Amino acid sequence: MASEKTDLSQELLELVAREGMVDLSEIKPESRLEDLDIQSADFVMILMALEEEYGVYISVDNELTDVETVQDLLTLAQTKIEEHQKEAQA
Amino acid sequence: MNRVVVTGMGAVSACGLGVPALWSGAVNGDSGVRPVDFPAIENQRVGTAASLSDQTLSDLSEALKHRMRDPVAVYAVTAAEQAVAQAGLGEGDFGDACGVVVGSGFGGAKTLDDNYFTFAVDRKMRLDPMAVPKIMMNASASWVSMEFGATGPIYTPSTACSSGSQAIGLAYQMLKSGAMQRCLAGGSEACLVGGVFRVWELLRVMTADKNRPFSKDRNGMTLGEGAGILVMETLESARARGAEILCEVVGYGTNSDAGDLLRPDPQRASACMTLALQDAGLDPSAVGYVNAHGTGTVANDVTEVGALRAVFGDTLDGVEVSSTKPIHGHALGAAGAIEAVVTIKALRHQMAPPTINFNEVDPKVNLDPVANTARPIDTGAVMSNSLAFGGINASLIFARFDG
Repeated sequence: MASEKTDLSQELLELVAREGMVDLSEIKPESRLEDLDIQSADFVMILMALEEEYGVYISVDNELTDVETVQDLLTLAQTKIEEHQKEAQA
Repeated sequence: MNRVVVTGMGAVSACGLGVPALWSGAVNGDSGVRPVDFPAIENQRVGTAASLSDQTLSDLSEALKHRMRDPVAVYAVTAAEQAVAQAGLGEGDFGDACGVVVGSGFGGAKTLDDNYFTFAVDRKMRLDPMAVPKIMMNASASWVSMEFGATGPIYTPSTACSSGSQAIGLAYQMLKSGAMQRCLAGGSEACLVGGVFRVWELLRVMTADKNRPFSKDRNGMTLGEGAGILVMETLESARARGAEILCEVVGYGTNSDAGDLLRPDPQRASACMTLALQDAGLDPSAVGYVNAHGTGTVANDVTEVGALRAVFGDTLDGVEVSSTKPIHGHALGAAGAIEAVVTIKALRHQMAPPTINFNEVDPKVNLDPVANTARPIDTGAVMSNSLAFGGINASLIFARFDG
């Protein structure tokens, strides 16, 4: 279970780097998205990739606008993906 | 300068055909949002929109067979017919004295979508030969002008979600300055087709749940479609015809953010409302109801309420604010016109229609937007706001006509 979560975190980190057009080595969970120059247009690309890869539709809500760091984004994405997987199984 | 009045209104919306159906939906909180299914979208993520009902489509079925009209033009002409009938305009009232200003955001979306499919998927070269005149943004305005023989000035604002409001505002300015005596003004949109819906999904501003403007748990808007058309004329023209005056258009403000294409700017939105108030010569305290742009996206609602507080005071005392988009959807280029109709009805009935689906006050917004149930108002003036992508703001003020 722990390793599954780690795998997902790593996958998500790679996805954020790829879609945000940032070098993976520069991204740390505590990095602020602003400092990585990840802007609203990159956000939309990241959300589109999440939909393609995990089948989860994330619209812009209060939780998403509160996201400041890479870790915030990963946690939110992870929660939404898990919620989605639960719903899909139900 | 001429005074400008409204003498007729028409609407096609998810609530049905006509203004009574729209107002009944708005004031009773009876939503026209329903399931929508686009076969071309694999794994459609958002399952609802304020689409026209089967009954409405069936009532319009003959009109929709027109080979040279995309649905967007059919909705515009239908709403215009209702408005003209209410205003009692006869053949002699059109001609050069009557202009047409009808906006749209997407134009002939269905024709474009269908033809791309035939062209790119089916690889057929036999496309709709009338595709160009059906798709062009001004087709709705042109069909309205032809339907009635209105040969005065004709314009088509295409300013996304502000198109309908700017159409009414532009008509008001032209009537005021004497460029015409009468005008059919509003907006039309028929954007609920697979290709358009999918790109809205990708922008992540549509909710997969319910549209809840100003509510803490809001997470996006719900698309809509339809048309709203007003018959507007100079007071002199209305009096000469002995027409019943529904209200007076007293103020219009419009400006641009020149900032971000998508992110709204509260200072520019409040400047826009102030322009409209100055144009009307009204103190903010004279306005008792605001039909907000209120899309239910996180960004819009925070921005708009911030702007409202800057204009009407921090506590928003004495002004009710609501969004009727959860009822008729966000009809983009028709939104400002459909909402102008609702706003004028609110003035005439002295009743603020509710923001339905509202669950919880958002501390970031801190507004009770006439939550879930209509509220009586006692006011002589009302405002309708549109804040569009592209940073285009428009505010209209309508007032009770007291002679």
